[in-house]
Amino acid sequence: MLDVKDLRVRYGAVEAVKGVSFSVSAGSIVSLIGANGAGKTTSLRALTGLVRPSSGEVRFETASLLGRAPHEIVGLGIAHVPEGRRLFPKMTVLENLKMGAYRARRQKDIASTLGMIYEHFPILKERGRQVAGSLSGGEQQMLAIARALMSRPKLLLLDEPSMGLSPIMTAEIGKIIRQINDRDVSIILVEQNAMLALTLAQYGYVLETGSLVMQGNAQELLRDEGVKKAYLGI
Amino acid sequence: MTASLLVQSAVIGLSIGSIYILMALGLTLMFGMMHIINFAHGAVYMLGAYVIYYVFFQSGAPYFVSFVVAMVLLGVFGYLVERSIYRPVKGGIEPTLVALLALTTFLQAAGYPVFGQLDKHVPPVFEGTKNVLGVMVSVERLVIIPIAAALVVGLYLFINKTKMGAAMRAIEQDKEAAALQGVNVHVVNGLAFAIGFALAAASGALMAPIFKLDPMMGEQPLLKAFIIIILGGLGSIPGAIVGGLMLGLIDSIVATALGAEPAFLLSFVFIILVLLFKPTGLFGYAQ
Repeated sequence: MLDVKDLRVRYGAVEAVKGVSFSVSAGSIVSLIGANGAGKTTSLRALTGLVRPSSGEVRFETASLLGRAPHEIVGLGIAHVPEGRRLFPKMTVLENLKMGAYRARRQKDIASTLGMIYEHFPILKERGRQVAGSLSGGEQQMLAIARALMSRPKLLLLDEPSMGLSPIMTAEIGKIIRQINDRDVSIILVEQNAMLALTLAQYGYVLETGSLVMQGNAQELLRDEGVKKAYLGI
Repeated sequence: MTASLLVQSAVIGLSIGSIYILMALGLTLMFGMMHIINFAHGAVYMLGAYVIYYVFFQSGAPYFVSFVVAMVLLGVFGYLVERSIYRPVKGGIEPTLVALLALTTFLQAAGYPVFGQLDKHVPPVFEGTKNVLGVMVSVERLVIIPIAAALVVGLYLFINKTKMGAAMRAIEQDKEAAALQGVNVHVVNGLAFAIGFALAAASGALMAPIFKLDPMMGEQPLLKAFIIIILGGLGSIPGAIVGGLMLGLIDSIVATALGAEPAFLLSFVFIILVLLFKPTGLFGYAQ
């Protein structure tokens, strides 16, 4: 479904992503793990056009994504929940959700998607008229994910969904990620919480200072001594 | 100062304030979304007034038609400025500001050979006076208030009730997040330029029958609009409205009572006081 080949991104003199390749097959959860500054976030930002890669190739289904603007990439079926959630804090929960469906043409489609979202996130219906900035961290993360789902994506990019959340809330988000995947949405999960990421994913990639150092079946990575020591703290 | 003089200068203050508001709204909208100050706003005001001179006075088109022509022409000009200046520098604030200053200087300098060295005058459009609370006020001044109010309400509805308006608010809060939802940020920024320019043109078009026309005529209202958006809070639309009304009333009532220079001085004293107690302006908030 998604194929990334030899992706390179530089910020001025610094190369943040140094030739990373990975792929996502339809219906799967793939996880990118690694420490701060490993290039995980930058890789996602390159996929959705927020930064321009210096070289490489990104194919989604039949389309090449390189050189496309973010708003076009959403239209192809990729939704990106950025690091830090990036909600519209002064808009209400409902307005945020409607922004997620910005490219939908028919009101009927928006209403039915919204109904589905409310089924999964009843709290968002309850908080519909509240401004997004007033939600708790966990609720904000749910809203960020729900807003992305409003575009009815085939592929969802999640950047650090567990950041700043309590263990209970993190488990809740994990459950939600599974449910989304059960609805045939493929997911790229970027996490510093490697345990969460590798438990959810089928396949994992380990990044270190911009390069891919290891990849494999998520279960195998969980058992790997190097991964255990470096990322799982055991 | 007699009561009748007070009423009269209050009405004139409201009408001047309306012009200030129209100028300030575009500036604050563009600042909120793009963090740029449109230095060309005064030059656009000037061009709006000249459109009235040529289309209404010289060509004899109805005033209302000329007014719409001014707004549409300069709105399109605004969109083109976004395309040719703001977009190519990829959101660079400093290059945009320098380019807008250059554009302003060019438009003003070009004004003299194109429009002539001598001041132009547009004959009155709405003649006569009207009785307001027992005081006679010129209709020309009075009519500005409902026209400006209609434009303000229109803008308010556009921003709060339409999808494009929601996109503008989204860009103001988080440009990247807006792009990730599928908003074509370039097009919406272009629309903000168009709206800002059209409102500045409307201000100039409304003032054309009242003041003399010369290529530098936009400098004074531009300065006032700067003061208003700082007073009201940068990026705040309610701030621009309240600030515009306050400054218009100060300008008119104090000028009538004490003269133009004290009024000018007092408006600055007032702003310094407001900023001392609320540095982000009346409706502003720390970014």
